[in-house]
Amino acid sequence: MKEKFLRPLFFVPALVLLAAFVIYPVVNTVWLSFLSPDGNFVALDNYADVLSQQEMVDLRGFQRGFPYGALIHNFMWLVIHLPLTVLAGLALAILLRGVRGGSIIKSIVFLGMVTPMIVGGIILRFMFDGSIGIVPGIARLFGGSPETLTAYPETALLSLILGSLWLWVPFGMVLYSAGLETIPSEVYEAAMIDGAKPLSMFFNITFPLLRPITEVVVTMTFLWDLKIFDVVYAATMGGPGGASNVLALQMYFYAFRKFDFNSAAVVACVLMLLTTAVAAPMMIRSAREAR
Amino acid sequence: MFKRILLVACALLLVATCAAFAADAKTLTCIGPWSGAEMEAFVPVLQAFEKETGIKVDYRIYRGEDLSAQLPAQFSAKTTPGDVIFMWSWFIAKQGEAGHALELTGLIKDGDYLPGALDGLKVGGKLYGIAYTGKVKPGFWYRKSFFQKHGLTPPTTWEEFVALLDKIAKIPGIKAPIVSGDSVGWPLSDVTEHFIATFGGPQLHKELTAGTIAWTDPVVKGIFEGRLVPLLKAKRFSEPIEWTQALELWWQGDYGLYFMGSWITGMVKDPSDLGVFSLPGARGIVFGADYAFVPAYTKHPEEAKKLIQFLATKGQEIQVTKGGHIATYTKVPLDAYPPVDRGVAELLTGRVALSDMDDTIGGEFQPTFWDQLKLLWVKPDRCTEVLETLEKKAP
Repeated sequence: MKEKFLRPLFFVPALVLLAAFVIYPVVNTVWLSFLSPDGNFVALDNYADVLSQQEMVDLRGFQRGFPYGALIHNFMWLVIHLPLTVLAGLALAILLRGVRGGSIIKSIVFLGMVTPMIVGGIILRFMFDGSIGIVPGIARLFGGSPETLTAYPETALLSLILGSLWLWVPFGMVLYSAGLETIPSEVYEAAMIDGAKPLSMFFNITFPLLRPITEVVVTMTFLWDLKIFDVVYAATMGGPGGASNVLALQMYFYAFRKFDFNSAAVVACVLMLLTTAVAAPMMIRSAREAR
Repeated sequence: MFKRILLVACALLLVATCAAFAADAKTLTCIGPWSGAEMEAFVPVLQAFEKETGIKVDYRIYRGEDLSAQLPAQFSAKTTPGDVIFMWSWFIAKQGEAGHALELTGLIKDGDYLPGALDGLKVGGKLYGIAYTGKVKPGFWYRKSFFQKHGLTPPTTWEEFVALLDKIAKIPGIKAPIVSGDSVGWPLSDVTEHFIATFGGPQLHKELTAGTIAWTDPVVKGIFEGRLVPLLKAKRFSEPIEWTQALELWWQGDYGLYFMGSWITGMVKDPSDLGVFSLPGARGIVFGADYAFVPAYTKHPEEAKKLIQFLATKGQEIQVTKGGHIATYTKVPLDAYPPVDRGVAELLTGRVALSDMDDTIGGEFQPTFWDQLKLLWVKPDRCTEVLETLEKKAP
């Protein structure tokens, strides 16, 4: 009986912290998104206003090229960065499994993951610099023109997406490496006795058994792509001409350059809705499995 | 034994606390944007203040871009990371209006400063900041040795300027006649403002700053399409390159000209090899001052006021001796300047000193201006779109 009453008591410190640092800011931000700068309730007017801005969605981009707006740029991150990250992480984990010196190579690859993203952004900027960058340098070797790829609207976003692979691929590689260790070797031995080929073993054993890992990698990468800020801030500041702008950076511009906290709250809520939509299925599944 | 240890520990704690309070009482934190060589030129100013007043000053480096994100949150919590902070004039005025900056009216005399130097820091007649030294954005810098070697001379007409760029473009090894500095975008806005002030006159520059003329106005469009865009299309400007790296490339001869502010004189190996010319016919020159204020939440308001007063007056005289800075305090004698800066100051003679447009307007316009110019530099055919975007964000 005593335990029954004591148990909830232990939740109190955590609940107080959650209420102060998560629930209150979230509720306040949502509330702020429905208010005008002078504090009047304006329902969805802020949402209509922000989502109709060219910084968010610029349909002219489909005729003249970049920029397409922060929302579409974020989707581009998802479409390009997400599958590449998952595939590259998986490929590295498989290729380096059991290879002599594989753990050293993994450690080197993992350096990208431990590099602060803001530093990663600055490194990216120099990687694509026409004068000293490694990417234009390689292009020069093959007769290409040594242009600063982050300076041009048609290549800026793509440079950041592809360039940031080294910052996030290690995350997938580490998780997949751990996942591969959990697959019993007997399963492969049985398949080999049955005459299965390596490719067939990958698609029928490795990949299905790594499904829980893939779900985590996909979800976390999805969230990373949606909230991407520091890399873009440091490398291009969303430019040129907004060609690499993303939602989180637009939120920053609204909040700290325009001092329009209501519009910033709208972007924050849009981001929150998108991330919740992605994270919710994984959380529900985890809860079910826990039961 | 235990009691003795406890007693000694308490005594040590008391001494440490007193020492911390004593140190804290006379230590100010000054936040500024300068690092490297620029910081080395600023630190002697603070040292002179320390010597004169006995008040210790710690210097910390923060860029304006970072402060603009950090300070509003700090001020909302009624705290501040510094006692004297260098920041954009529009930001200071905004914080003064909101009660986050101490009023400094009467601390310095208006008449002792360049005309208009303090205007952007006032709200309703009350002064919330000081103008420190400034930098002139006089025009295109060149190496005298480079010009001599290739038989080049500074132009006196627009046609001569275009011909000069043609000549430089033909010099073997030259990547482009003018190197375009890049950072968050301000070097490009400095060049653009120079074109506006030259071909539209100082009045047009002032009207664009005040928002009384549209960026899409035919006069403005004419300057962009008639002067700047043809040069960009002809690749007379390089693509934007990080500005300190651009300085090195220009100095080593990859480029012929570099549009930069007067602080360049403190950044090159041999300032005596520097020459500078404005666009022919320039009637106005942009003068970008550095501004500072005292946050209302400083724990040492009186000491902070002493420091800011020192910076606004005597400090300027010390600063200009280091090169690269021009005083806004008119009582600084001309002989305090190094010779190369005296030359820069001469360029101002007979010309209108204009306040830096993007620093004055600030807000959302500032990063938009920088970013749109980055686009224009690599896609000059999108000039109309750039001007339309600027008009949307203009005051």
